[in-house]
Amino acid sequence: MASTGSSSSIAIADADSARPSDVVVGIQSYNDADTIGGVVRSAREGIRRHARTGCVILADGASTDRTVALAREVAGEEYSVVAVDYRRPEVDPLKLPYHGRPGRAAAMRAVLRAARERDAKACVMLDARLTNLKPESVERLVEPVLSGQMDYVSAHYVRHPYEGALTKCVIYPVFRALYGARLRQPAALEFACSAPLLDHFLEQRFWDSEQAPTGVDMWLAAAAVTGKYRVGEALLGVRSAAVRSVAPDLSTALGQLVGALLIDLKSRANFWHRVRGSAAVPVVGNADGVVTPPPPDIDAEKLRESFGLGYAALRDVWAAIMPPRTIIELKRVADAPSDRFRIQDDVWARIVYDFALSHHLKTMPHEHLLGALVPLYLGWLASFMLEPGTDDPAVAEQRIDRLGTAFETQKPYLISRWRWPERFRS
Amino acid sequence: MTSRELEDPLWYKDAIVYEVPVKSFFDADNDGIGDFAGLIEKLDYLQSLGVTCLWLLPCFPSPLKDDGYDISNYTEVHPSYGTVDDFKQFLAAAHERDLKVLIELVVNHTSDQHQWFQRARQAPSGSSDRDFYVWSDTDQKYHDARIIFVDTEQSNWAWDPVAKAYYWHRFFHHQPDLNYDNAAVLEEILRVMDFWLEMGVDGFRLDAVPYLIEREGTNCENLPETHVILKAIRRHIDTHWPNRMLLAEANQWPSDVRPYFGDGDECHMAFHFPVMPRLFMALHLEERDPIVDIMERTPSIPETCQWALFLRNHDELTLEMVTDDERDYMYLAYSADPMARLNVGIRRRLAPLMNNSRRRIELLTSVLFSLPGTPILYYGDEIGMGDNMHLGDRNGVRTPMQWTGDRNAGFSRADPQELFSPVIGDPVYGYQAVNVEAEEHDGASLLHWTRNMIRLRRLFRVFGRGTIDFLKPSNRAVLAYVRRYEEDDAILCVANLARNVQPVHLDLRAFAGLVPVEILGYTEFPVIGAEPYFLTLGPYGFYWFELQHRDR
Repeated sequence: MASTGSSSSIAIADADSARPSDVVVGIQSYNDADTIGGVVRSAREGIRRHARTGCVILADGASTDRTVALAREVAGEEYSVVAVDYRRPEVDPLKLPYHGRPGRAAAMRAVLRAARERDAKACVMLDARLTNLKPESVERLVEPVLSGQMDYVSAHYVRHPYEGALTKCVIYPVFRALYGARLRQPAALEFACSAPLLDHFLEQRFWDSEQAPTGVDMWLAAAAVTGKYRVGEALLGVRSAAVRSVAPDLSTALGQLVGALLIDLKSRANFWHRVRGSAAVPVVGNADGVVTPPPPDIDAEKLRESFGLGYAALRDVWAAIMPPRTIIELKRVADAPSDRFRIQDDVWARIVYDFALSHHLKTMPHEHLLGALVPLYLGWLASFMLEPGTDDPAVAEQRIDRLGTAFETQKPYLISRWRWPERFRS
Repeated sequence: MTSRELEDPLWYKDAIVYEVPVKSFFDADNDGIGDFAGLIEKLDYLQSLGVTCLWLLPCFPSPLKDDGYDISNYTEVHPSYGTVDDFKQFLAAAHERDLKVLIELVVNHTSDQHQWFQRARQAPSGSSDRDFYVWSDTDQKYHDARIIFVDTEQSNWAWDPVAKAYYWHRFFHHQPDLNYDNAAVLEEILRVMDFWLEMGVDGFRLDAVPYLIEREGTNCENLPETHVILKAIRRHIDTHWPNRMLLAEANQWPSDVRPYFGDGDECHMAFHFPVMPRLFMALHLEERDPIVDIMERTPSIPETCQWALFLRNHDELTLEMVTDDERDYMYLAYSADPMARLNVGIRRRLAPLMNNSRRRIELLTSVLFSLPGTPILYYGDEIGMGDNMHLGDRNGVRTPMQWTGDRNAGFSRADPQELFSPVIGDPVYGYQAVNVEAEEHDGASLLHWTRNMIRLRRLFRVFGRGTIDFLKPSNRAVLAYVRRYEEDDAILCVANLARNVQPVHLDLRAFAGLVPVEILGYTEFPVIGAEPYFLTLGPYGFYWFELQHRDR
C-alpha cells in the first residue's frame, strides 16, 4: 500500500502479507507497548478455534515505543502482523477527540481495505489500549460472523447505570427509534463485520468528512442497520482500557458524540422516515457473574443545580430551539424540589428531537446548539439518578427500555416537523 | 474508487434541477451583467433551497443574438460572465455543496460568427471545412421542414454572399446548422464535450437534437441518422466519463421523443414537453383529463432513463405539442393580452400565468413534483417573480433575479441604466414586493413553501423512480394517482383542480387495511376499507399520503 501518511515511518512488514486471511484483526495503536501484547494475544487465541488463517492489521500512528515490535512478537509465526499506513491529521490540542485518536476514521478505513485485500470472511476491530480483553470476548465478536449468523456484531459492555448516560439518554433511544434496531451501545469501539458489510462500509461517503474521526464508530453501526444487514451484539463484560490523555470535558464529548449522531440523521433521513417501531437485536453471550462496576463519582444534587443554572442562563436560547410548552415544562422541572425533580420521558424525547431539528435547520451554529444541550443532559441525568431504584442495573435497564419506547412514540413529532419545519416556527 | 465512481449512476432520477442563466442571477463585478463570481456567491442560497443540480443556460462567447444559443466558441466562457478559471472555481464550489452542474450545449448549430462558419464560407465547395455546415445552390431543398421561428424567419435557407451559396438554419438565420453528415463535425463536438467533462461538469443539456440531420422528402426531424449520432455521443461519454448525463431537448410528442432514449444507449433524460401545457389547461378547465390523457399516452422508457418535467423555462410556454383547439383554448385562457404571445406560445412566468394565486402555484408545483420524472425549476419562480412582456423576444422572462428591495433588486450595484435588462418594477411583482430577502423573513412565503416541498420530495425516491397508476374518481375535478417503488410504501397523490371545495370517493380497495398518513404533517387518516374512500379537498387543495402498513 502506498504511503499516504503525513509523518509516518512505518513500512509494510511482510512480503506475503496480502495472502488471504479468514479473519483480520484490526488494531489502531500509538505508543501502546504496555497493552498491545495482551490485545494481540487475546485476539490470537480468540480466533484460533474458528479460523484457519488470520492476520493482525496494525494501523499504527508512528509509535515511538516498541508497540509494533511487541505486536509481532506476541503474534508469533502463526499470525502475521501487518502495519498499514494512513493519513493522520495534525493534532489540534484544543480538539481532543472523544473516541481515541485523531485519524481514527482513516486508520479504520485502512484496516478495512486491508481486510478486503485479504478476502477476509470477518474483520474485528479492537482498541490497542484494552487491558482486560479476553480471548472469549474476541470469540464472541467473531464467531457469529464466521458462522454466517450476523454481519455486524457490536460490543456491549456492562457499566454502572450511571455511567455512559449520554448513550443511555440520547444515542441509544434515538438510534432505536429512528433506525429501528435496539443496539445498546451503537458507538462501541469494538465490533466485528462480515465481508459483504465490509464492502458496504468502504462504499460509505463519510470517510473524509471533518467529523469522521469522532463519528465513524456510530456511523458504521448506522450503515449496517440502514443497509439492512444482520446486526447483533456481544456481551463482553466490563471494559477496561488504559488512559493516557486527559479526557475531554463534557461539553466537548457531548458535542462530538451527539453532533455525529445528528449529522448521521440528516444523511439518512429518507431511511428513518419510513421506519416504524423497533426490533431487539440478537445477543451473544451473557453477563452472568459479571460484577457491575462501582458507581461513578457523580452528585445528583450538583447536576440538578447545574440544570437550574442552565435554565436561568439559557432559557432564551432554548426558546429558539424548543416550543413554548417545553420551556414551560422545563420551568416546572427547574422549580421542583429534589424528590419531584423529573424530566418525563416524552418531554425528554421531544427535547432531543427539537435539537435534532434545529441542527438540521441550522437555526444556530452547531457548536452553540450542542452547548445548549449540556445543562439539559445534566438535568436528565439528575432526574434519572433521583428516581428511586435506578442504581439497580435491572431496574435501570427497564427504565432505559421505557425511554426508548417514548422516543418511538414521539417519533411522529420529529417527522412532522422535519418534513414541514414552517409549522413549527410559526 | 473515486468519489465519482461511488456515486449512484442514476443520480439524475432523484435530482431537483434549477435552471439558471448566469447573466440574470447575480452580478459580482457590478458591470450590470451576472457572472460566475456572482453565481458562486449565491450557491449557499441554492443549496439552502434544496435543489441538487444546476442547469446553466449557454455561457459561451456569443454575439448574443439569441441569448447565447448562438455560440461562437465552445471552449471559452463569455467574457461578460468571467473566464474559464472562474467557471472552474464555480464548478468546484458547486460540487463542494453537492450540487451537480449541467451546461447547455447547442449541438445543432453555431453562431455565424463561429470560426468554423467563417472558415466554411471561405473554403472550396466540397471540402471538409466547407462541409461543416449544410450548403445548397438552391433554397428549395428540404421543403417539408417546417419553420420554427415563424415570427421572424421566412425560410430555413439563407444566402451567404461570401460562399455564394445558401446555408441551412432551422432557427434564426444567423445560426447555421452543423452538418453531421461530415464525420469531422462529430469529432469536434466530442472534443468540446471532453473539454468540459474533463473539468468536471456532470452533464449536458443538448439543445435542439431532433434537427441534427436533413434528408429530402422528410420533415428533417427525428431522423434515424440523428439517433446514430446520439448513440455515438453516448458511447463516447460512457466509455470515458462515468456517471455523466445527457438531457435531450426534443420538443416533440412523447412517442417521437421515446427514440431519444434508445435502448438506454442515447440520452439519459429528455424533456416531456406535451405534459406542460396540459397541466395549465387542466387547471383552467378544472378537469383532470388533459393530464391523464397525455400521461397515459406517454410510452414507457428504459429503466435507466428519465423524463424531465417543468412548468416554466427560459422560453415561451410552448404550444407546439397541442391540438389547434387546445392552442386556441390556451391563448384565450392564459394570454388575454396579445403581447403575451410569441411564436407558438406564451411568454409569461409561472406567477403571472397563475394570476399570482398562491394556491394555484402550489397546486401545480405539487403535481410537477409528484408526476414521474425529474422536476426542473426556473430561477425566480420559487419566489413568484413576474415578467415584462414589453422587453421583446423572450427577454421578459429572463430579467435580473430579485434578491432584495434595494436598487437593481440587489442583483447589481451598477448604474440601473447599465443593467443588461431592467428589473421587474410593476406594483404586484416588482422587486420591492417580491424578493428573496423579504421572503426569507416571511415564514409563510412562497420561498419557504417551495423549500419545504423540495426537502419533502427528496425524502421519497418513489417520486423520481416509481410507477404511476391513475385513479379515476367520478369527480373529474380531482386528479388522483398512486406512485410505487420497490418496497417503499405507496404514495397516494390527490389534487383538486377546481377553485371550489370538492368531495371525492376513491377506489382504494387494492390498499384495504393500509393507513393513509398525510405526508406534510405526518397525520394519520382513517384506515382504508372495502368501501370507497371519502375525502374532501379545499380549493386547489392537494394531499400526498403514505399508505402505511399498520404492522410495521
